[in-house]
Amino acid sequence: MRVESCDVLCLGGGGAGITAAVTAAEYGANVILVSKEPLGYGDTRISMGLTSFPGVVEGDSLELFYQDLLKGGEYLNDPELAWIMAEMNPFGVQLLESYGHLFQRNNKGLIGSDVAYLIGGHSLPRSIGCPPGGGISMGNALRAGAARSNIRVFEEVLASSLLCSGEHVAGAVCFDICRGEVFLIRAGAVIIATGGAGWLYYPHTDCNSGVNGDGYALAYNVGAKLIDMEQVQFMPFGLTHPASVCGVYVGEPSLAAPKGLIRNRNGEVILSGLGTMTRAQVTNAMAVELSRGGGTEYGGLLLDLEPNLALPEGRQMWNVRKERGQLNIVRFAYGEDAYRWKKPWDVTPTAHYFMGGIMVNTSGQSSVPGLYAAGQAMGGIHGANRLGSVSLAELFVFGYIAGKAAAKECIGQKPLDCSQGQEEAAGNIKSLSGRKGLYSPLVLQRRLQKTMWENVGIARVEKGLRTALKEIEEIEETCENLKIASQISYNRDIVHTIEIKHMLTVAKLITEAALMRCETRGAHLRLDFPEKDEKNWRRNIIVFKENNNFKIQSEAVKF
Amino acid sequence: MCREVSIEVFRYDPGTDSSPSWRKYEIPFEEKNTVLGALLFIQEKLDPTLAFRYGCRYNRCGLCSLEVNGKPRMSCHSYLEEGMRLGPLSKLPLIRDLVVDRKGLFQDLAKYELFIEKNTDNTVIFEPEQGAKLRGCAECLSCLAACPKYSFGSDDFGGPFLFVKLAQLHFDPRDKKDRIEQAHSLGINLCQDCKKCYCPNGINIYRDAISTLLKVKKND
Ligand SMILES: Cc1cc2nc3c(=O)[nH]c(=O)nc-3n(C[C@H](O)[C@H](O)[C@H](O)COP(=O)(O)OP(=O)(O)OC[C@H]3O[C@@H](n4cnc5c(N)ncnc54)[C@H](O)[C@@H]3O)c2cc1C
Ligand code: SF4
Ligand code: SF4
Ligand code: FES
Repeated sequence: MRVESCDVLCLGGGGAGITAAVTAAEYGANVILVSKEPLGYGDTRISMGLTSFPGVVEGDSLELFYQDLLKGGEYLNDPELAWIMAEMNPFGVQLLESYGHLFQRNNKGLIGSDVAYLIGGHSLPRSIGCPPGGGISMGNALRAGAARSNIRVFEEVLASSLLCSGEHVAGAVCFDICRGEVFLIRAGAVIIATGGAGWLYYPHTDCNSGVNGDGYALAYNVGAKLIDMEQVQFMPFGLTHPASVCGVYVGEPSLAAPKGLIRNRNGEVILSGLGTMTRAQVTNAMAVELSRGGGTEYGGLLLDLEPNLALPEGRQMWNVRKERGQLNIVRFAYGEDAYRWKKPWDVTPTAHYFMGGIMVNTSGQSSVPGLYAAGQAMGGIHGANRLGSVSLAELFVFGYIAGKAAAKECIGQKPLDCSQGQEEAAGNIKSLSGRKGLYSPLVLQRRLQKTMWENVGIARVEKGLRTALKEIEEIEETCENLKIASQISYNRDIVHTIEIKHMLTVAKLITEAALMRCETRGAHLRLDFPEKDEKNWRRNIIVFKENNNFKIQSEAVKF
Repeated sequence: MCREVSIEVFRYDPGTDSSPSWRKYEIPFEEKNTVLGALLFIQEKLDPTLAFRYGCRYNRCGLCSLEVNGKPRMSCHSYLEEGMRLGPLSKLPLIRDLVVDRKGLFQDLAKYELFIEKNTDNTVIFEPEQGAKLRGCAECLSCLAACPKYSFGSDDFGGPFLFVKLAQLHFDPRDKKDRIEQAHSLGINLCQDCKKCYCPNGINIYRDAISTLLKVKKND
């Protein structure tokens, strides 16, 4: 079996992964980056590209930004991480530009107050963009940054499990999708930057395919602690049909300002004044109406933007959206009248971002020696709700921090012995090809996704959560009986099998945490506990594995 | 819903099949279904071995390009129609079915130094509008399939994708290299009488990239 070696192994080719890898290399480490999708692909690439940059508007300060993060996060945030986020945000923006990206500038060539947008939850305009490219331009710049550095890149290769030397992480078993090859990478430290797990809710997600929580499961399986996994952010407005674009995101709550309304199937107004509401507030109100049976035949509610057209500023908003190309997908799915706001849009919330994730300290280090995390894969910064535009800035800040710390830890160290369990782990993947069982791994993914959406989605109750746990267990058993194709190159069945196992693990972590949090806070809505419970639940929920058993506990927040 | 749409899909595993074939599939009709919708249906319900790439499902990431009836298209942004023939992007090495080898792309970034230098001063920057537009290139590689002069692996002619990259850097005030010179050494003069560039993502390759780089070299 092929074995590669490096100091720092970085898993993930999005914003966090590339930043971490390039930074580790700049600090002298020998680096390998492994990416399931081609390099630079992932949520970073398909994002709108809006990035927080505190201080562009007079009166703004790092302290104010920090307070906004905590307020938005409903005080579940890790205060130290949130402060680093605020303090290093300007640095993160510069770092990305140094790879070749450019944010929009004003007529003086500066990123000034006149190019900053106000996004829900921020008390001042401090989000900058880069039209028309958006996240595409970021993805391309990141790849250019990777090409400029001396890291080694393995594209379309996924990590299927981590290897340890005693307690210390020491490498990963990898699967090369195009070549169908299983191989090992030995490393002094591993950085997980595999993004979130929106795909657990497919098709009700706007995330990139392959964003299915591999990193959370990889970390959990070697004993790392994860924090607040129940906090899954749903964007309020996702398409409901046609099937091929279901889940695609069509806008923030501010899209509806000033006069837009949400109606139910009977045309009754459910929500108005959306402009000042957070994502969680709008999503939760929609979830309550949907659970009452107010949904349309497509399972959505009606976003009625027509009242805006009566006002000059409303018509102006339409023009702005049109210019930015934000309405094209609506025209594609719902036709000309919907594009012109003359016909309401059928929308339902769509899984977008995981506030929870791998628990890390201020160096990006997890609770397992040698294991780091950055980007959406890590948790703690955003608490119970993330403010728009901060998750991109986060990548460059925490990617940098993890890359630097991982490099410092392992440069000059002797390679660790990772032979413990390597043959077995590799053998598990090799033996998948050509299995003649009953179930298609992709169909099992669909089954899991359905139960997650129905029972662990936007509105949760104990009964549904328990149903989900049962279903997860049943699917786990079914996984013993898989039907897998035998192609060597580009065998998606093998990829789907590795993924479904990770997805089941993550689904369980989310569901257990959702069951434990008996309150409604941020993105977590419990219909059976509809109030926030400040007395008992200003606490983080931590999940981990101990002696092969699932453990869950809560800890008071660190304020 | 009993109506069906019948399409043909290119199937070929160069490692094991003696020759390529076009396989027929029937897809249940749905209003405004897309080509990608059909591929996802085949993968889930009919044949999980079909190989194709996609990412965002909404015409953003650039990963789902293929050829519909011989013309490059984004599969997530093309409505499905009766009788379509879906094949891989031509001109790039085939991995399997609809999946082509994209690795050369990253290698080219390093080979032609398609990046700005380290430690540039980013404070005050004026980027021409064309540069900003070219940053929106989704790297879908459709333009390569449409270009009559491009051939994979040849250093004589860079092809539209590389020219877009070079032009984008040319417009970046921080970039120090002579990208016009580079474009000429990659044979851009062959474009002079062609102008057949095609981009499904709205990049005006000829106007915004090629005609700029075609400018006569300084020393000529
Ligand atoms: C439609 C959309 C719009 C958005 N707009 C904005 C915005 O305007 N502003 C903002 O701040 N945020 C936005 N976000 C959120 C933001 O884009 C993401 O949170 C962020 O990009 C995540 O970056 P990442 O590097 O952590 O992960 P990603 O960019 O998703 O990268 C993850 C990488 O890991 C790889 N990977 C996964 N599993 C494995 C494995 N097992 N082995 C190896 N590699 C693996 C993937 O292939 C991918 O390359 C948006 C998100 C979406 C979906
Ligand atoms: S120029 Fe257009 S066709 Fe060519 S790679 Fe870029 S987006 Fe694709
Ligand atoms: S002008 Fe013609 S030869 Fe030149 S890149 Fe475009 S299509 Fe190819
Ligand atoms: S899937 Fe991303 S562009 Fe089509």
